[in-house]
Amino acid sequence: MTAPSTNIPVPAADFRPSLYKTDSRTKRRNAAETRFRAYGIAAVAFGVLALVVLLTSVLSQGLSAFRQTTMVMQVELDPAVLDKTGNRDPAELGKVTTITYGRLLDDALNKELAGKGLIPEGMSARDVSAMISKEAPAQLRKIVLADPSKIGSTISFDAWTGGRIDGFFKGRVTMESAQLDSNVTPEQLQLAQAMRDAGLITMPFNWAFITGPDASEVRPEAAGLGVAILGSAYMMLIVLALALPIGVAASIYLEEFASKNWFTDLIEVNIANLAAVPSIVFGILGLAVFINFAGMPQSSPLVGGLVLTLMTLPTIIISTRAALKAVPPSIKDAALGVGASKTQTIFHHVLPLAMPGILTGTIIGLAQALGETAPLLLIGMVAFVRDYPGAPPEGFLDPASALPVQVYNFTQRADPAFVERASGAIIVLLVFLLAMNILAVILRRKFERRW
Amino acid sequence: MSIGLLSLIVIVLAVAGYFAGRRLAVSKVAGDIRKLHSLPSYYGQTVFLFTAVPALLFLAAWLLIQPLLIESRVSAMLNVADVPDGSSVSLMMTDVRRIANGIDLMLAKGGLNSADIAAMRTDLTDVRGRLAEVGVALGTNVTPAVFAAGKAYHDLSGTSRMMMTVGVLALALAGFVYAISRIQPEFRARNVTEAFVKVLLIGASCIAILTTVGIVLSLVFETISFFRIYPAKDFFLSLTWNPKFGGGSDLGIWPLIWGTLYISFIALLVSVPVGIFAAIFLAEYASKKVRAVAKPLIEILAGIPTIVYGLFALITVGPMLRDYFAQPMGFGSSSSSVMTAGVVMGLMLIPFVSSLSDDIINAVPQSLRDGSYGLGATQSETIKQVILPAALPGIVGAVLLAASRAIGETMIVVMGAGAAAKMSLNPFEAMTTVTVKIVSQLTGDTEFASPETLVAFALGLTLFVFTLGLNILALVIVRKYREQYE
Amino acid sequence: MMNDMRLTERVVDATKIKISAKDVQVYYGASHAIKDVNIEILDKTVTAFIGPSGCGKSTFLRCLNRMNDTIPICRVEGKILLDSEDIYDRKVDPVQLRARVGMVFQKPNPFPKSIYDNVSYGPKIHGLTRNKAELDAVVESSLRKAALWNEVKDRLDAPGTGLSGGQQQRLCIARAVATSPEVLLMDEPCSALDPIATAQVEELIDELRTNFSVVIVTHSMQQAARVSQKTAFFHLGNLVEYGDTAQIFTKPSDPRTESYITGRIG
Repeated sequence: MTAPSTNIPVPAADFRPSLYKTDSRTKRRNAAETRFRAYGIAAVAFGVLALVVLLTSVLSQGLSAFRQTTMVMQVELDPAVLDKTGNRDPAELGKVTTITYGRLLDDALNKELAGKGLIPEGMSARDVSAMISKEAPAQLRKIVLADPSKIGSTISFDAWTGGRIDGFFKGRVTMESAQLDSNVTPEQLQLAQAMRDAGLITMPFNWAFITGPDASEVRPEAAGLGVAILGSAYMMLIVLALALPIGVAASIYLEEFASKNWFTDLIEVNIANLAAVPSIVFGILGLAVFINFAGMPQSSPLVGGLVLTLMTLPTIIISTRAALKAVPPSIKDAALGVGASKTQTIFHHVLPLAMPGILTGTIIGLAQALGETAPLLLIGMVAFVRDYPGAPPEGFLDPASALPVQVYNFTQRADPAFVERASGAIIVLLVFLLAMNILAVILRRKFERRW
Repeated sequence: MSIGLLSLIVIVLAVAGYFAGRRLAVSKVAGDIRKLHSLPSYYGQTVFLFTAVPALLFLAAWLLIQPLLIESRVSAMLNVADVPDGSSVSLMMTDVRRIANGIDLMLAKGGLNSADIAAMRTDLTDVRGRLAEVGVALGTNVTPAVFAAGKAYHDLSGTSRMMMTVGVLALALAGFVYAISRIQPEFRARNVTEAFVKVLLIGASCIAILTTVGIVLSLVFETISFFRIYPAKDFFLSLTWNPKFGGGSDLGIWPLIWGTLYISFIALLVSVPVGIFAAIFLAEYASKKVRAVAKPLIEILAGIPTIVYGLFALITVGPMLRDYFAQPMGFGSSSSSVMTAGVVMGLMLIPFVSSLSDDIINAVPQSLRDGSYGLGATQSETIKQVILPAALPGIVGAVLLAASRAIGETMIVVMGAGAAAKMSLNPFEAMTTVTVKIVSQLTGDTEFASPETLVAFALGLTLFVFTLGLNILALVIVRKYREQYE
Repeated sequence: MMNDMRLTERVVDATKIKISAKDVQVYYGASHAIKDVNIEILDKTVTAFIGPSGCGKSTFLRCLNRMNDTIPICRVEGKILLDSEDIYDRKVDPVQLRARVGMVFQKPNPFPKSIYDNVSYGPKIHGLTRNKAELDAVVESSLRKAALWNEVKDRLDAPGTGLSGGQQQRLCIARAVATSPEVLLMDEPCSALDPIATAQVEELIDELRTNFSVVIVTHSMQQAARVSQKTAFFHLGNLVEYGDTAQIFTKPSDPRTESYITGRIG
């Protein structure tokens, strides 16, 4: 590094190239600039595309779950079959099994077929009756037991078709696949098509999917989300009832009262870490503490709700503290200035002003809890539950399922019809989440304050 | 008395206390409330708090501890000699609990009274049949010892319930009387209430600590009991994972760690470049309008439950990777694979990387950008050579947080990665992770006290320590970074 | 009023016009920030822009190397000629322009890199040197020109952010000088510095005049008087008066200039 001034390769000002000519190096640099920018656009596009593909995949697989292939038939409730003694004694009626009701349905179906002039070619009587869902006789039985006065009359009954027939109209089952499938024959499909053309088979909106209970492995057409939705709703109630007051109380203490010391630091560090602890660890905590230690019942919304509460607390605390922080100190000073105590100031002035922010954070925390699956698997919510949990508070102790867990349950079953059910369940879950998020946005918009 | 009713009584008493306290305070000063130290409602509030809070806390504590006490008393009654082959004390305790529950039902529905129960003997009555009548199914016939234990369990629960009811009511009444007796015009009711409320607030804050303590204790204790029946050396050093129903399992953690790290690595391979470039674009290039649309869209990815990603892996990505990559290229024919889980998890993590990186890039002072542009640098040169180096610690923190998410993620790997514990390099092969095995070992049918179940706690502890370390590291780095520019 | 004796002694010795602005208008969205500015800035001269806050002097300075391009809502009309080439012509790449019109900012803003990397940043991105030895030479001569060499020559690898405020600002000047610009724009370069550091930087500005045309925006009239040969007074987006510094400070022709100089507006 000697004689630096002479070494600098700087052209004299007069020999500077014209600004109007972009030199080759600048061209290269600009090309690099364009490329770099393109990477950015590509990355954003990739993210958005991922979202679109994810949602389309679920929607395209799941929308058909909201329609159910149904046979409309007139069923004659023959007293000679259903009530041999003729005294309509509920105890006697209860002894009539679904097999008997199945026969009634078979007769009704055959009558309908004959009425439309459809002849089940190359099919045994068994094949024909196998087109009706195994769930249908049980449903018919329930109707009769609920109102025995119907016996003797002919009622209009919507019987679900079996899962394969349902799949046929939803494009899942084809003539080719039916040939390889022991559960359905091409003849059945042909007959089903003829019935559809004749108006015997319709595809109405499937309310039972939303309200009905889960069904066994071999009856995908009957599997519903009722128990899961109720279970999730119970857990959300528990989370709301516990996490909101505890979260707000903790935030108020940390934000307004706590002095800076090791204890406050300890709490802060704990909250920050709990927010990032894997959710499955909370499941282990629930299993070890609430079920094994405290002896609470497995699969119950109470345990699920407690676990989700602990999981949601950090989220609620973090957003509540942000909301409290956003209240300008001038308002606090004003209240303190007229002689209000610190507690009065907080509860009368700061908290009401922070409430929209707190509620928004709470809703987002609830949405997170609603979609959580892993911890619930560990506390036994993965069990097969067909009975609706009772009314709260006792119902909090009954076994129940949860929406996301129900999705997981569906995916664990062999019949491909459950893929549709799982995707449909996800659509229901996403609709709930969307509604909650929209509510949060509305709250924020409506009460947004500018100080 | 049911818990609901009991708490209702306490609350009614407390509300009554509120009004009584308020009225008493007003009457002590003959209606001239200016002579009171505090507003009348504060006197009511002290009564309310003193009546309700201790009683309800006692109730909650009792409910948590009662089963533990009873269990230990009753299981002490069972002799080791009574335990039949192929069973264990914990299995027998399940029966004991069922019998106790059945006795309740027999009293309620079976038309028996307590004298009948006390007289009931297994050698004379078909207890199993009687229990079945009230809907309690038992696997085996009831031995006298177990039935005796069941009766004891039932009696102890009854006594304990009674003690709890008496205790709760006594506490509520005592609080009520104490608070009422303190009401005097010069009593500083507001200060007392506020101090009480503050204690409650502190209590609420401590829940975070209690949760952590609960997590650590439950993991550590069960892990210790796991290491009592399974050598820690094998767990930490063995390269095979092969649980067997009949015992003699190999429970080496390495195949699980390998699967976890491999999948997390692929997830980061997808999410880090995409996330960082997306953050750069949104922070530096995008117009306000584009940003207002694209940023929330990407962040939706973080709000979608992981079960949705799991299903996406299972029904869309897995088969697609198998049909278009793995099979044509001869990498195998499994639709659940490291690749499937990794790619889908990568999508999920994009917003975790991009949001935090976006914040961090935005926190780089504008003056540095001006300095660079002023020297004639292009925007990309400025980003690459000035902004990213300045933001690097923060971005590293974001990546570490994403890594911790990836390691702890459960549903995507449960549904997308497979269950085979393998240490292979082929990314199209099914492998498994720590979280998958926690789920499968704890939802299986194996007995709780077996090493096959308890290993889940050791796995959980490993996972907890791992992610905790990453989180703390990330938090420290990000905090340091923030301080640098504040 | 101003009794700095140097004022009268100094002569404006350069006559070559470096930058000439014609009917320049600047809009921020709907607001008209700069109105009809015409000015000719001379080579090898220090030109000071003075005026009250918000008068548009910084905005106009940032037009001279198209730094305003980085603000989306900003729009510039009129012509600004650098050596008779319009810098706002569509053919002009601002990147090339800024290599020739360097800039130093209000707050010292060294990059979070080593001192060496800070100075070599410009030459590297513009490809001004062919090898490491040349780059070393440029770094040294730039640091010398910024009067910083002796203070930092033993610790070129230390981070630039570790220097004191005055040193940081001189480092930023060195960084700007390293691309060997023809014009050096300085936006209140001493406002974040203490008096001693200010004195050092002012001294440096005077020396820089031998190589560059320097344009400095300043809040301090004393500073304008100390370092500049030409002064332009801006008020409410208008260029009110432009002339020799001595004349502006002693015999301002516009009453607004006089009010400002005597402290009645500002």
